[in-house]
Amino acid sequence: MGFGYEKQLKRMLWPYLGGALLLIVMPAMATLVIAFTRYTTLGRPVWVGWGNFRQIWGSEYIGLAFFNSLFFVALAVPLRVGSAFFFALLLRHRAGFFGVYRTAVYLPTIIPEAAYALIWLWIFNPVYGPLNLMLGWLGVPAPVWLADPLWARLAMVILSVFQMGEGFVILLVGLQTVPANLYEAAGIDGATQGQKFRWITLPLLTPWLLVLVFRDLLASLQNTFAPSYILTYGGPYYATTFVPLVVYEVAFDFFDFGTAAAVLVVTYLFIGGVIGVILWGTGLIGGGDDV
Amino acid sequence: MSRGKVFLLHVVSFCGSAVLVLPLYWAFIASLGRSGAPPAEMIVWWPREPQWQNYRTVFELIPMGRFLWNSLVVVLGAVPLTLLTASVAGFGLSQIESGRQRHILLWSVVWLMVPNTAVWVFRFQIFKWLGILNSPLALIFPAVGASSPLFVLLYYGHFRRVPRALFEAARLDGAGAWGAWWLIGVPLTRPTTAAVLVLSFALYWNDFVSPTLYLNDSLRYTAPVGLQFLLQMDSGNWPVLLAGSMILLGPMVGVFVLGVRGMTYEV
Repeated sequence: MGFGYEKQLKRMLWPYLGGALLLIVMPAMATLVIAFTRYTTLGRPVWVGWGNFRQIWGSEYIGLAFFNSLFFVALAVPLRVGSAFFFALLLRHRAGFFGVYRTAVYLPTIIPEAAYALIWLWIFNPVYGPLNLMLGWLGVPAPVWLADPLWARLAMVILSVFQMGEGFVILLVGLQTVPANLYEAAGIDGATQGQKFRWITLPLLTPWLLVLVFRDLLASLQNTFAPSYILTYGGPYYATTFVPLVVYEVAFDFFDFGTAAAVLVVTYLFIGGVIGVILWGTGLIGGGDDV
Repeated sequence: MSRGKVFLLHVVSFCGSAVLVLPLYWAFIASLGRSGAPPAEMIVWWPREPQWQNYRTVFELIPMGRFLWNSLVVVLGAVPLTLLTASVAGFGLSQIESGRQRHILLWSVVWLMVPNTAVWVFRFQIFKWLGILNSPLALIFPAVGASSPLFVLLYYGHFRRVPRALFEAARLDGAGAWGAWWLIGVPLTRPTTAAVLVLSFALYWNDFVSPTLYLNDSLRYTAPVGLQFLLQMDSGNWPVLLAGSMILLGPMVGVFVLGVRGMTYEV
């Protein structure tokens, strides 16, 4: 007992902490430093100050990737979190079939990205794809999807919305933390379903929804790599060239690790800024004592 | 709720989840279509003559057996290792003194937020230094560190709910921390093990990015990259391409459906 036990507990954490240090902390720190250097893996990194950032600022191509990513995130994140919330509210009941429905909702999320991308390449096929056959049958004018810049971007949003299973599970857990007696008390007071949602469910789930939005800002952007790589390789007319694809090209095709790191730094500073603004706007930081 | 409302709830639930599964179903049906023939111009709900030989064609066009074997090696190495390291770390974290615990919890959440794209490039360097680039070890290596802070946090959450007295009892019997973990902790956290098993299987089986970045010998490629070969080789042959996709997603769906049974909802 005593010290030996504490020591054993600490040792149990070593592999995890060592792994995190080597595979998360060090690469993240290296990205921050390398962003200020010219580094091609052959020689030593050479300090260039803000050079890489100036290069990004001047590059129309990288600017377009930022715009595309912003467009994607602005549509995908609210839709993903919104539909996850919708399905969590719908399927939180324990009875009978709901377990099967929950499994079905999570199913698209566990499909390997390479297979998932091919499946949607088929679905979005403008001539033979089942989606356009369906739209034709309904008499709706069918777009050419991946061949049109705007529709290709929307297609990327659509296929990412189908993979919102993680948010769905997180919100299911969140809904279970709402004390049942609150609903009972509101029911005795004669509250309608809508009022219960507005005054009990929504306020109690706001922290969960916020965390989910932050998580999704980071995750959904990074998940664009495989679809944009396999479905369109950034096209048509660079419409689906998102930040991860540019990082991949700059780093592994041109071996310009410095610029790739700088693109990452700008991206995550921006996302950090957005998260900060949301936190400030909801009064969670910075003198919001009314919450 | 009235009967009508319950009925409506079921209808909406059924339709909603059906829409989400529909693309997968459509792709499965199309994988049974006649290869080489022009695709149907109507939506097919079940093919008149299912062409199961499309699945064999995948193995004839590309060395899919080899790719699946490579994937299996990675999963068999990484998943058990992840279960071990994540469970042990979660246990240690749940029992350690509270000051240090709070520290590590906070950092784990921060690490969880670090996107993979931000570490891609320098993991490449680290694997190069370790001399495991272009080897399955590069794909398995993250399992040494529990693969993801999420898994450690899941185990931590479960171990924390186990009454401390149980671990104290094992300690008084002289079992030590490892004994308490193995004899008391592991049997009590089976639902979390099922969840981490499914999630870590997905992490390694589905991984498309790591083999693309860290391998360059095509014989070492895993199945997701193999599927890319199929696309480059025979890009218009939809039934065979989709059959390849089904071969890749089949094991994942199987593990998921079996694993979900092992998890019980509890909060």
